[in-house]
Amino acid sequence: MLTAILFFVLAFTGFTGALLLVFHKNPIVASLGMAVSTVTLGVLYIFLHVPFLGFFQMIVYAGAVMVIALYVIMALGREEIGVEVGTSQVLLSYAAALLFIFYVYRLLRKSGFGAFFPVEKTFGSIQSFGNLLVTQYAVPFEIASVLLLGAMIGAIILSRREWS
Amino acid sequence: MITIGHYLILATFLFAVGMIGALTRKSAIIVFLCVELMLNSVNLVFLALGRYFGQLDGALFAFFVMAVSAAEAAVGVAIVVAFIRRQGTSNIDAANLMKW
Repeated sequence: MLTAILFFVLAFTGFTGALLLVFHKNPIVASLGMAVSTVTLGVLYIFLHVPFLGFFQMIVYAGAVMVIALYVIMALGREEIGVEVGTSQVLLSYAAALLFIFYVYRLLRKSGFGAFFPVEKTFGSIQSFGNLLVTQYAVPFEIASVLLLGAMIGAIILSRREWS
Repeated sequence: MITIGHYLILATFLFAVGMIGALTRKSAIIVFLCVELMLNSVNLVFLALGRYFGQLDGALFAFFVMAVSAAEAAVGVAIVVAFIRRQGTSNIDAANLMKW
């Protein structure tokens, strides 16, 4: 019962943060709404028995991505560019979102709302996570490291001063 | 009683809201954050389904999505900064060089 109440509070908070991100005119408020949303999603990850990823989410998103985005907004792009209303692009995007929700609803209605089964104690522990990461998923792990290295080099090259 | 349907519905709504934002907002940084929100909601689906089937593979996939989105954050913010320096605005309507 307590987890149900907590889930709904967290879901409401996270969804409100997402709405702030999409519909608020001030970009700083919008990115703070995104930070709230990422933190609540991290708490939901902890509910799903993967606490490691939950803390990882809070550190990476609320700690790194949001700080970088806020830094860029404050340093360079603090313009109030709100949602454009009334154009066909806006209407089409709303229609696409509604269609997406409708199809997911049909899918869910067909498959049903299954309750979670209890899992064993070691599920989601850092040890089992790391075991899987260096055995079954070793190759994707290495590819991810190469990808991050490439992203680092790309970011350095893109933000050199003589580029612009 | 919280079932998997609750998590999937929450993730669906977050994805739909992020999609609306990515398609309608004009500020490049906000569009980038909306894409991050969509990635987050996909992560939630991965974790909920992995928890539902009692396998950790969903969490591993979410981990790799996070790694990719961190790389995307670094390169994306660099591109946005270069774009703002070049065009003097963060309005993505200014990116019309290849428009015909």
